[in-house]
Amino acid sequence: MALPIYLIAVNYAAWFVFMFISVVWILVMLDNRGKKDKTRTFEKLPAVSILIPAYNEGETIGRTIESVLSLDYPKRLLDVIVINDCSTDKTKEIAEKFAMQGKIRLLNNTPNRGKAYSLNRALKFCRGEFVACIDADSIVERAIIKKLLSCFHEDRVAAVAPALKVWKSDSWLEKVQTAEYVLNTFLRKILSFMDAIHVTPGVFSMYRLNALKEADGFDENNLTEDMDMALKLHDRGYIIETNLNAMSYTMCPGKWRELYRQRLRWYRGGIANTVKYKHMLFNPAYGNLGMFFLPVSLISVLSIMAVFSSIVYTYFDSLSSFAWRLSLINFDFLFLIGKMDLSIVLEEMMTTSLVLGAVGMALGGCLLWASSRSVNSSLKSNAGGYLLYLLLFPFIMMVFWTSAIMHEIAGARKRW
Amino acid sequence: MLLSALIITGLIFFSGFSIGYSFNTGKLSAVESDIATVTKDIQNFQLEFLMFDVLGEKSACPLLSSTLSEINVRSEKIGNRLEMLSPDSEIKDYASYVEMKKEYSRVLLGYWLLANKFKKACESNISTVVYFYANQCDSCGDQSFVLTYLKKRYNETLLIFALDADLEEPSVRTIKEFYNVTVYPTLVIDGAIMAGFQKTEVLESQLQK
Repeated sequence: MALPIYLIAVNYAAWFVFMFISVVWILVMLDNRGKKDKTRTFEKLPAVSILIPAYNEGETIGRTIESVLSLDYPKRLLDVIVINDCSTDKTKEIAEKFAMQGKIRLLNNTPNRGKAYSLNRALKFCRGEFVACIDADSIVERAIIKKLLSCFHEDRVAAVAPALKVWKSDSWLEKVQTAEYVLNTFLRKILSFMDAIHVTPGVFSMYRLNALKEADGFDENNLTEDMDMALKLHDRGYIIETNLNAMSYTMCPGKWRELYRQRLRWYRGGIANTVKYKHMLFNPAYGNLGMFFLPVSLISVLSIMAVFSSIVYTYFDSLSSFAWRLSLINFDFLFLIGKMDLSIVLEEMMTTSLVLGAVGMALGGCLLWASSRSVNSSLKSNAGGYLLYLLLFPFIMMVFWTSAIMHEIAGARKRW
Repeated sequence: MLLSALIITGLIFFSGFSIGYSFNTGKLSAVESDIATVTKDIQNFQLEFLMFDVLGEKSACPLLSSTLSEINVRSEKIGNRLEMLSPDSEIKDYASYVEMKKEYSRVLLGYWLLANKFKKACESNISTVVYFYANQCDSCGDQSFVLTYLKKRYNETLLIFALDADLEEPSVRTIKEFYNVTVYPTLVIDGAIMAGFQKTEVLESQLQK
């Protein structure tokens, strides 16, 4: 089925956008190879508060609290606050056990108020100069505090993001996400070179308490309050850094339904925040964030939509007509297959689209390889995951993005 | 830095396009040489026809039949290659492509006329189908599909000649007017005109006759 000219043009334009983004990443990466990160050392170690908001994380919160309590940092300078957001499972009991041993402080919300509210409430009780927020299903490496602190090389650095890895990957879905998290961690480093980090992940990003207070805390009406916080900090002239050696581990959705809900929230949040901070778009005052990253993210989402609709147009139009045509020949499908000429099929594949697609894949492959090297995890250990991520994942994400866009346009109710 | 990235991407994109274009140019030259070969085959066929009077039916017909098969195979290949180049997303030398389509139509018409002559002279049971299609034709895709299927079923006893009625080619226009073709698709099966989309069963019963 032939595509109309405008859809063809749109497809080529979309490929161009994706290639452009990849080329920028690669150029920035090459530009900054071997550069030493700016660091600082503290003569006197500062006090650090750790916030653990939790809603029905009874299965994992014990492990998270243990992980935080065994951090390599002087106990007297560490202050752990768990915020139980009106959980209905064992979360409260488990947290209370630790509280009774005096190891943590426990705050209880009634009723359920959301993650941002929980964090904001806890901020009032913080005693440290720095604050780290961690999800109740994640764990961190023992040296993470010192590693993150070392990146606060000047007062303007308001937040430092760690390297985010997937803790367990058994199913294929989890393996693909592992590849994705590795790439995202790497891209975050590249963004830090461009001073354009747009999200401080909710898994042990460390903030300066003053900066958070000055930014009026987390936005309680936002689906992705971590992205909102990052953009807000940029808006106020702060810098955000990332440390690829600071390891944090999180659980990723193992089931499609969970993944869909997570991505719907992420992508809807992304759209909403881009709209909220639209004054940054194409605004030189916001450097690479405003001139490059936010606009191209917006354009790539639109491109994804365009490519997706043309795929639907091509294949569903063909699928339905193919089904109809099969009926015309009384479904003598096997006969058709038997008489197919392989050499023609192969020749048919040597097209312009294929060449461009191959180049695009090559660029993507380069980036994946570079990212796996940067976090010291070999491509081979998760070869299948990386391959599936490169070839299949974008199409699935296209579906999720479409859904997210439709939800946002329809002004649907927000669900966390 | 963003500017250099833009330039680099432009270069990569442009080379991708160029590679695609050279692929298609290669395909077009392959078609051109195939057309030259099949034209020679048709000349052979005409020569063999002339020998018919000398050699008589018994000797000439097998020879003619085998030459016809060769023409059949080559012509199908040309048709497939041109079909692959037809989508607008294929970057190609459009003028050359159209010229090649016109040349191919002329080859097809010569082939069709000779096939009809052969059918009469050798009392062969082959069927010839002239298939007129056009751009703005909704059911032409379905018709092509059905014809391809039938072709695979009947193999050499069914010869299909697909003509693009939109081509500005005098010989095609002449045949169109001769059969009074106004709607698309239109099929001419062994001289019988059938206008509009025809189902498999209808075609098969027509072919049995």
